[in-house]
Amino acid sequence: MTNNNRILQVESLTKTYGKGSTQTEALRGISFDVLEGEFLGIMGASGSGKTTLLNCIATMLKPSAGKIILHGKDIASFKGTQLADYRGKEIGYLFQEFELLDNLTAKENITLPLALHGISGKEADERIATIATKLDITDVLDKFPAQLSGGQKQRVAAARALISNPSIVLADEPTGALDSKNSKILMDKLAAINDSEQKTIMMVTHNASVASYCSRILFIQDGSLFHELRRSAQKETPSTFYERVMTVLAQMGGGSANVL
Amino acid sequence: MFFKQIRRNAAHNRRGNGLYFGSLIIAIVAFYTLLSLKEQDVMQFLSTIESDAVRKLLMLIPGVYAVSLFFVFFLVYFACRYQMDSRRREFGMYLMLGMKRSRLFLMLLGETLWSSMISLLIGLPIALLLTEGTSLATGKVIGLGIIGHTISLSFDAILWTVCGFLIVQLLSMLIICIPYGKTEPAKFMYTDASSKQAPASSAASIIFLFLGIAFLLLAYYIGLFRLMNQDLLKMTAYFTAMLISGIGGTFFLYRGVGGYIGRHIAKKNHRSNGLSTFTGRQVQESVLSQHKALAVSSLLLLVALSCISYGIAMGAGRISDSRTTDFSVIGTEKEVSSALTEASVRDMVETSYPVYLSRTKTEFDTRQIQSELLQIEGAENEAESFHSDYILSISSYNSLLSAMGKKGIKLADNEVALYSTLDESSLYSYYREAIKKGLTIGINEKQFKLLSEFYSDNIVADRSITLYAALIVPDSLFGQLASNTEPFCWNLHLKKSLTDELGLMQAIQKMDTSLNKTGLEYDSYLSGIGRNLFYAVAASYLTIYLGILFLLIANTVVGTKYLIQQRENKHRYVTLLMLGANTEGMCRSAKKQINMFFALVLGVAVCSSIVGVFVLFRNFTRLPIGTELTTVIVLSMIALLAFILTEFVYISVVKRNACREIREIEITDRG
Repeated sequence: MTNNNRILQVESLTKTYGKGSTQTEALRGISFDVLEGEFLGIMGASGSGKTTLLNCIATMLKPSAGKIILHGKDIASFKGTQLADYRGKEIGYLFQEFELLDNLTAKENITLPLALHGISGKEADERIATIATKLDITDVLDKFPAQLSGGQKQRVAAARALISNPSIVLADEPTGALDSKNSKILMDKLAAINDSEQKTIMMVTHNASVASYCSRILFIQDGSLFHELRRSAQKETPSTFYERVMTVLAQMGGGSANVL
Repeated sequence: MFFKQIRRNAAHNRRGNGLYFGSLIIAIVAFYTLLSLKEQDVMQFLSTIESDAVRKLLMLIPGVYAVSLFFVFFLVYFACRYQMDSRRREFGMYLMLGMKRSRLFLMLLGETLWSSMISLLIGLPIALLLTEGTSLATGKVIGLGIIGHTISLSFDAILWTVCGFLIVQLLSMLIICIPYGKTEPAKFMYTDASSKQAPASSAASIIFLFLGIAFLLLAYYIGLFRLMNQDLLKMTAYFTAMLISGIGGTFFLYRGVGGYIGRHIAKKNHRSNGLSTFTGRQVQESVLSQHKALAVSSLLLLVALSCISYGIAMGAGRISDSRTTDFSVIGTEKEVSSALTEASVRDMVETSYPVYLSRTKTEFDTRQIQSELLQIEGAENEAESFHSDYILSISSYNSLLSAMGKKGIKLADNEVALYSTLDESSLYSYYREAIKKGLTIGINEKQFKLLSEFYSDNIVADRSITLYAALIVPDSLFGQLASNTEPFCWNLHLKKSLTDELGLMQAIQKMDTSLNKTGLEYDSYLSGIGRNLFYAVAASYLTIYLGILFLLIANTVVGTKYLIQQRENKHRYVTLLMLGANTEGMCRSAKKQINMFFALVLGVAVCSSIVGVFVLFRNFTRLPIGTELTTVIVLSMIALLAFILTEFVYISVVKRNACREIREIEITDRG
């Protein structure tokens, strides 16, 4: 693998909250790369720093030190329009609680990132038709969020995250508010899109079965990288990968138990 | 510690929310202005001459006070709710940290009282300044500026203002706080108040919209074309129908317009750029969830605009009543001249002259005037009933004119002029129109030329006599025709030096005392103007007062409704930030929403007001006689400007608040 298909580089990323004696380190110098077309999972216990990491990449938080480089540019230096453009065009964000605007129809929610960046008319219509078919939400486009089921809402949110064709989709516990059936539908769709379009997805989760859809998983403990797992696409089925994920999680539990 | 916290919280409230604090101060000023009415110079003066009418007006004040308490309550209630809503999270925290609900309640009570005290300390001086200002200004405008002005401080008014204000403040606080007794801390801390967008049935919306427009148009139609020239019963029926269809129409219109906005957005959706869809949907949501408040505000604005227009026209009309002579003394020549030689009277009188006005038994041939009047639209009744059986000598009228500083009329022996004092402005224009061409009038088989000019200067000090149509005739002709050749009365003009020195009102009052001693019967300009002033002050003051109050309340309701809505939907702005919207874009969207929100309320209110004011002036009141159109236009323009300015200020304040809140939103505020 060459540097060319490396789209995101995280270098010695540190994030501290508070000052002086109350200072806590959420991230202690994490470094990793994200490759193009990868489905990367981030796992770890509560408070391990996985959501902080995702929020730093999403520019929802400013790192205390270290670099986040997307396509060769340090996103920490972005301000104003550049920052808004980054949020709207370069990343797509999938929230645990969907965060759909409940006074807009599904279609209006999905096209919002396009409208914000001046794309409208025929191009927008074509894009929405394609993405809606892929996520199986064509029938609900004219409905308001209150009329949709949780699974439909999250697929509408996924369509919104994907519509502007971002370099990377960041997902924060996307199945956190869904039942297992809808979780499976969503993950199948995301995996299919990752597979067919080589769309890079980075997902935070603590659910092993959801994580087993990933091609690679980073395990974080106490703000540092603890372990890395890679799924061999040809040889391994999700269920065998799931077994390996569970083993690492058990080790992590055991690991901290040993320290304590 | 507890009190320190109360003071700190109260100070924070005041700094953070100008809208809230501003409305508290408006409430105080409104109460004091109304309650101190009887201390105003004009009222003080009026009560010396028209004590009965003034007493009746002052009896009305407690009623108006109660009405304004009721309306100001809404103003304060909405402002307080906005204020309290923004602190829900803080209250939740207090409860979670173990504060008892009773203590939280006491804290809020303490804050309310503290804010009330500060508001009173600021509001009362403003109210005092304002009432002194209006007192002086009205005095000046009416010609009263001359009275020695004393600063009037009404302790009763202050006491009642404080009581009323505290009642309104505490009541609104109680109503807001009582539900807090049962609210769970989590409900406080995580406000998810966004009512789910009810997908209002599009068909129902369109039906409501059409019904609303139809009812409003029906109300306009009744007002414009059906109310005129009806007897009382029919008029009441039509008026009730107009009110019902107008109010109903307004409610239906706002109920339906939300759905219409939705359809409109859905249609142009794929062409929209930036936040325009979001902006539209926000407005639609506000309209859908607040349609009742919008309708009420719009109707309040309509009432406000009508009240203010009415007040201005009434005030302008009465004020422009011109002074022709100061005293009209009734008595024989001997009696009057003996009175005039008395030192106390003589020193004050500039000129005096007899007024020769008399009935005549001679029938005039007025066919020419009648046939001219018949051709004027609307003057048919006047043409039929036209008759003239009063004559006035030219020398008397010219004396009056020269005393007023006007040029006299030149009347040849074969000429006469038309004169009337009937308080009916349309009649004047009919007469002017009819005699424009130069008509003749037959008196005792001889044709006299009628001057093409029409005269209406009041020939006595009071408006106690009304002449429907009289002729100004040469003195020789007066002698031939008059039934009574004795003077009708004697007019006295006061010395200019005296009126300059004492002021017109006091000069007249002084003369009044002197004349009183002579035992003669007389009328003074004072009693005439007294009655007129009373109407001017009563009608203008109260209607303008209520109008302004309604205006402020309607605006505050609309403004706070919007701001509460925005705050409840704060999370949407966080999501927008995540989707790549920038803060300035969101501020622009909010400003657009505010413009549209206000425009929706104002649009309907202004349309209805135009019809409303028209109906008001055509059917229920006439512009008083002698009202100069230019004065009314100038005053209306000033009022319109003031209205636009008020709206501008309100809209800017709401925009500033909205943008400040948006700029404070951090992308990490999620959850």
